[in-house]
Order: sequence, then structure tokens, then C-alpha cells
Amino acid sequence: METHDTVTLDLRPVDRPIPLHQPGQFTMLYAPGVGEVPVSISGTGPDQVLVQTVRAVGAVTRALCACAPGRMIGVRGPYGTDWDVARAAGGDLLIVAGGIGLAPLRGALQAALAQRDRYRRVVVLIGARSPTELIFVRDLGEWHRRGADVELTVDRATEGWAGHVGVVTQLLRRATVDPARTTALVCGPEIMMRLTARELVALGVPAAQVRISLERNMRCGVAECGHCQLGPLLLCRDGPVVGYAVAAPLLAVREL
Amino acid sequence: MSGVTPAELGEHAFLRGMTGHHLAILARACWMAPLRAGHRLFEEGGTAQRFWLLQSGQVALDLHSPGRSGLIVETLGPGELVGLSWLVPPYHWQFGATAAQDTVALELNAIAVRAACEEDPVLGYEVLRRVMSAASSRLYATRVRLLDLYGRPGAGQDRQ
Repeated sequence: METHDTVTLDLRPVDRPIPLHQPGQFTMLYAPGVGEVPVSISGTGPDQVLVQTVRAVGAVTRALCACAPGRMIGVRGPYGTDWDVARAAGGDLLIVAGGIGLAPLRGALQAALAQRDRYRRVVVLIGARSPTELIFVRDLGEWHRRGADVELTVDRATEGWAGHVGVVTQLLRRATVDPARTTALVCGPEIMMRLTARELVALGVPAAQVRISLERNMRCGVAECGHCQLGPLLLCRDGPVVGYAVAAPLLAVREL
Repeated sequence: MSGVTPAELGEHAFLRGMTGHHLAILARACWMAPLRAGHRLFEEGGTAQRFWLLQSGQVALDLHSPGRSGLIVETLGPGELVGLSWLVPPYHWQFGATAAQDTVALELNAIAVRAACEEDPVLGYEVLRRVMSAASSRLYATRVRLLDLYGRPGAGQDRQ
């Protein structure tokens, strides 16, 4: 259990593993007898174990979160675009996560830290509702030891919290990165991503170097049903990771 | 207390772009203030006679609740202004404030700065414009926090 409503599942293939996947991609997870949902891949464990983090917000996700060890679920994928972390090599990598949005970014961060010397600075800014709703808390120390500058902030502090209190965008101005040489990966509630991306561009990060992860009613995952359409994009195929320069005008259209 | 030069003052993000003349006026009311972690800057309800421009460290704003340690409402860091009430009558702090870690700040005499602003309206406007920017930014962030974005599922997710 990550939090009261969020669980990380380690999925071991019964038959064949899913094909090689990249950070940012997602799978469709099937809870037998209940339904299927898109879930971002949050990592890869030894022996081809697939790590996926699920928040219980509806019937399917509640069923997945309730799975006991040994329970079989369905997995198909991987689908969608990835964070393309390697393209950030040579510059600063800034990862901005809000709430469950850290799950799709975890694999990207781990990939960067596995080749830490390819990046100048690696800065991770994480926002959560409260200290008890931070996920991957067990990873924070290791990320720091492997060369990431990690800052946490919460909307509401609990007694004893000694960290930042405020929205994650308030940490952007203090981030020790060179904006012009920064690639920013952002994931969280759509409003948070919009505000963060806008602030990043205002600070001098080129829009083409800001990437966000979008989800809009994904159903089939294979660009057939059209439910995840966002203007000219089908997010299961052309996303979920989308460049902000492409996404910004689409996000401004309420009808989409 | 260690004095501050106009040039040092002008390097702070809050005062960026201010003229040398105005910085010289403010520097006369300013000194360097190292604050140890745990130092109490002011109490809710107290008279706002000073304000701070943070250079490093962190200050936590809090409200007292009976039987509980201070409820932290926001933290402020390098480049930020600590204190808004010094500019607004009746000049009483609305929150308490504590250095959450070892902090270095530029401390200013609020009474002297208000008097200088009254005497020089251009300075007054420059100070007010910057304070308003800080207040506007915090109001915006507070409104976003009220949305409880992390507490609500995204589009279509409530069907998942």
C-alpha cells in the first residue's frame, strides 16, 4: 500500500511478458469480471516483473487495489508514447509530479539515475495533498543518494511536517536548473500540469522541452474507439506523453 | 546587526529593477538577519514592525489551535517576502512565523519604510507593486489548493 487508496502492484507474467516498454507508456489492466482500465507503468522489477501503481477511484481500480498476492489479472500493452528521457541528456532534467502523477514519472527518473552522468542536474519536485498521501516514500532516500535533488511539498501539513507547504509550482522558481537547458517532465491533475507548464515557459524553459502526460477517457488503448480524442490526437496512440507546444492550444479549448 | 548596501539589496529578487536611489533609501532601514532554525519571527496578533526578504532557508507561517502545535499554512523560501500585514492598517500579523531551518534574511524596519513611502510616492508605488505581486501570487496558489486537485479523480477516471 502506498497510501490509503493507492496500491503498487508487482505483476509477474504467467505466460509471456509484455513487450519491452519505455517510461511513460501504459498498459490496459483487466480485473476479471469487473472491467479494464489504462494504468501507467511505474517501473520494472527483476525477472520481468511489471510495476504498476493504481489509485482506487472507481469499480475497476478498487478491484485491482483489492487483489491479494497470487491473484491473476489481465495485462495488455504497452501502449502510447514515452517520456524520451534520453533526449534530455546533456542538460538539466526537471521532473514535476503531482499526486498519483509521480507513478508515470518514476520509471523516467529511474532511467535517468541509472545513467546519472549523462545529465547535468536532476531535480524532482513532488506535490501531494498531505504527507500521508505521498507515494514511493521508500524510494526518496535512494533517489537522493543516486544524485537527484528531491523537494516535497504538500497542500496541507500535518503535525510534525517539516517540509514545504504550498502548491508544487511554488517550488519551480527555487529549482536549481538552467531553464534554457532544461527538459521538464510533468504529470499530475490536468490543471496542475497546465499551471506548471505555463510557469516553466514563463521561467524560460522552451515549450518544446516541456512534456506532459495526458489521459482523456482511454478505453480501447489501440486508437480504435476514439474516446481519448483530444483534437487531432488520439491519446492512446499520440500520447499519453505529449509535448507542451502541441498540447497547449488543445488544452485551452473547453469543448475538447 | 550587519548593515546592507544598496547593491546587496538590489540583488534580491523582490527588489529587482528598483532604482539605486530607492535602494539607498531602503538600505538605511535594512540589516542582515541570520535566523536559526526554530527562531520565532512574529506571533499572530502582534504589531507588524518589521518584514523580511529571504535569501536562504525557509520560514513557515502558522496559525495557533488550542491543544495542537502551530498549524502550518504555507512555507516561504529564498527570494520571497515574509510579511504583508506591515503595509496594511492596523498593521497586526495575521499569522505567526518561524524559521523552519537556518535562514538568512534581509530584515527591514517597516515603520521607516512606510514613512519613506509616504514621503516619496514613486518609492511607495514601487514597494506596493511588488508586495501586491507577492500577495496576488499567494492568493492564486491558495485558490488552487482549495480545488483539492489531488483529492479528485481526473476526467473519466471516476468510471474506472
